[in-house]
Amino acid sequence: MTPAPRTSGLSRRHFALALPSTLLVSGCAAPHQGTGRPGDPIVLTLLSHYASGVLKEALQGPVDEWNAGHDRVKVQTKAVEFTDLLTTFMVRQAAGQGADILHPYCLWNGQLVQAGVLRPAPREYAEEIARGYSEAAVDSASVDGRIYGYPTEVQTYALYYNKRLLREAGIDGPPRTWRELEETAHRTARRDRYGNTLVQGFGLSTADDSTTVGQTLALLNAAGGRFVSEDGRSTAIDSPAGRAVFELEHRLVTRGASAPGVNVYKAFRSGQVAMVVSAGWWTGSLKALMGKDYRDVGVAPLPLPETDGKRATLSTGFMLGVNTASKNPRAAWEFLRWLNTEKVNVRGTTKGVKATRMSSLQVSAGSLTGRADDMRTLLGAHSDANLRPFLDALAYSVPEPNVPGAQQAKSLLRKNIEALWTGQQSVDQALRTTRRQVDREVSRSW
Amino acid sequence: MVNALTTATTERAAPRTRSAGPAIDGRARARRRQAVVAYLFLAPTLLFFAVFLILPLGFALLLSMSRWSGFDLGGIQPVGTDNFRGLFADGSTFLAPILTNTLLFALGTLVLSLAGSVVVATCIDNLRFQGLWRTLYFLPIVTTVVAVGNVWKYMYEPGGLVNGVLNALGLGSVAFLQDPDTALPSVVVVQAWASVGSAILVLTAGLKSIPESYYEAAALDGAGPVTVFWKITLPLLRPSLLLVCVTQLISGLQSFALIIVMTKGGPGDATNVAALEMYRQAFSYGHWGPASAAAFVLFVVVLLITLVQLWIFRRKGEDA
Repeated sequence: MTPAPRTSGLSRRHFALALPSTLLVSGCAAPHQGTGRPGDPIVLTLLSHYASGVLKEALQGPVDEWNAGHDRVKVQTKAVEFTDLLTTFMVRQAAGQGADILHPYCLWNGQLVQAGVLRPAPREYAEEIARGYSEAAVDSASVDGRIYGYPTEVQTYALYYNKRLLREAGIDGPPRTWRELEETAHRTARRDRYGNTLVQGFGLSTADDSTTVGQTLALLNAAGGRFVSEDGRSTAIDSPAGRAVFELEHRLVTRGASAPGVNVYKAFRSGQVAMVVSAGWWTGSLKALMGKDYRDVGVAPLPLPETDGKRATLSTGFMLGVNTASKNPRAAWEFLRWLNTEKVNVRGTTKGVKATRMSSLQVSAGSLTGRADDMRTLLGAHSDANLRPFLDALAYSVPEPNVPGAQQAKSLLRKNIEALWTGQQSVDQALRTTRRQVDREVSRSW
Repeated sequence: MVNALTTATTERAAPRTRSAGPAIDGRARARRRQAVVAYLFLAPTLLFFAVFLILPLGFALLLSMSRWSGFDLGGIQPVGTDNFRGLFADGSTFLAPILTNTLLFALGTLVLSLAGSVVVATCIDNLRFQGLWRTLYFLPIVTTVVAVGNVWKYMYEPGGLVNGVLNALGLGSVAFLQDPDTALPSVVVVQAWASVGSAILVLTAGLKSIPESYYEAAALDGAGPVTVFWKITLPLLRPSLLLVCVTQLISGLQSFALIIVMTKGGPGDATNVAALEMYRQAFSYGHWGPASAAAFVLFVVVLLITLVQLWIFRRKGEDA
């Protein structure tokens, strides 16, 4: 048998070598960071949860402005849904493809710092952040007293209510105490003869850890309690305040005023929930999605267990920080300073109203900025009365703890809250189990 | 008794003693060259397995006995068997409900999909346009789990299609995914529905391979359809059934995508399974050690169950 004549095309040997090489090269390829040739622009990637709607558009505005005005450093945004954000950070980092600029929920900061993902802010930037933001915002962007980024937004929790549903039930205004809250919830709740919920009196969400736990922690803070002890090494939920909150939620569910199976975030905007506890960011999306029905939405401070109680609620936040794996940290901090510190004229307002680009984009999307001075300026300019209670709450809100095991503690709390709502656990069991599980799981890493 | 080693040695040594030495040496050289070429062709595959299977397996084993929050290899701290002990420690949820849920989920899925696929495959085998029916039943396999999960989630909702049908029949609504007693069975039904297509494909192929002469003999003996099914069809389908059992059970034990889409493991821990817990420990909490330890426990469980299945089927085969 004579060997096949050699051809000038791709031989089998070449193909055998080229295929794995191509796969290896494409598999190991880093995200686009520019060509690296002198004079060519650096491309910074920014990974956030501003994936859709008003927030996506609001962020793209300043990014486009930066790209138009800067030849050397360009910014490219990437976005995933909030529920996928933490796992995306972790997976991309593990794959060596972490973004240059990260936009984490401050709850995760301890964990991300422990894993070596976040780069501490350089001294001059840290000083600038400490000067320009409220104490709660700076605390949420700090781990062990060290600042890791620019706080972009601070969210406080308050009571959303549907004015029309309350009016139809013969109730004049939002509840101020827990007794009034329960009474209002029962009077507004309606079901059909098959047990389907037509209107939830008080919405309890099972959407995700943040929304489920946020409601409970806001009520816990309002009752004078806290989730984590001062030293951050154990939970403090098994307390009279914690018991009061669990009992309140248990009563609301078992007596039919709440139906946790219903997606409360969809149901509220279609007029099927009378009241729900949520954060300030929600006003922006409600306004966009409800159209003229938004006029029925009211926001009030969180009801307290007693009329004369001391006001408190939960505050959470997000920040923009730089990845330790970024090859261009100086450029990334430079962009963040431009976005978060430089004051510019606010679009659509009278001349002389100035705020940072980040503050403007937050307020334009119906959210709260981490800069208190901008918040006051911008709230005057865009006066949505529903944002006022969230701004007021900044003065008395309790920041969410961001110790390394915080996300896991939150997931464990959520599981036990759901077990309580669905009758798998009594109030006593739920408190005991939460304490045992959270203490056991997180004390080792905190 | 023949000494195999001696025989082999003699065979190998023999060519050297023959007179046609150069020709034999040439053949041996050609054989060796062929072997080298064969290994060269195998090399990419072996390299692939070494890089993507052996290396991660070894790394996972190392991590299962370490504390590591990810990313920085210098941060791996050995902790011995702490992670394994933590999984079974008092108060840990890994054994119950997580591992229990995993087994119930896999077994429930297997029983439902196996029973359904045997019935459907037998029906299809007696119908015209068999290709069309097989394609129809195979459709859920080519649909993404996320789409399947979301569609069924909407169907299960309090105001959804399933409750609508119940209400039309005058029955009250059921909180399928919100009630801890019904959540796991509800997801099992969806997983079984989604995996029945591949089982039908295997079983219809198995049915085709049963010789027609058995059925003709049974008809001559006057056997009824039920007897034929139990005495001929099922026993001769055993290899196909084994394949379906092993693959469905393994995929059931490893499954988590449908659960994360439909219930996220809730309410409480009612639908939480081992793979979901591992995913959360590693990618949400940065606890790679406990996640790797859980992976190895699941690996042992899968291995044991598969060996038991193979043993049962082989025993039955020998008996038959």
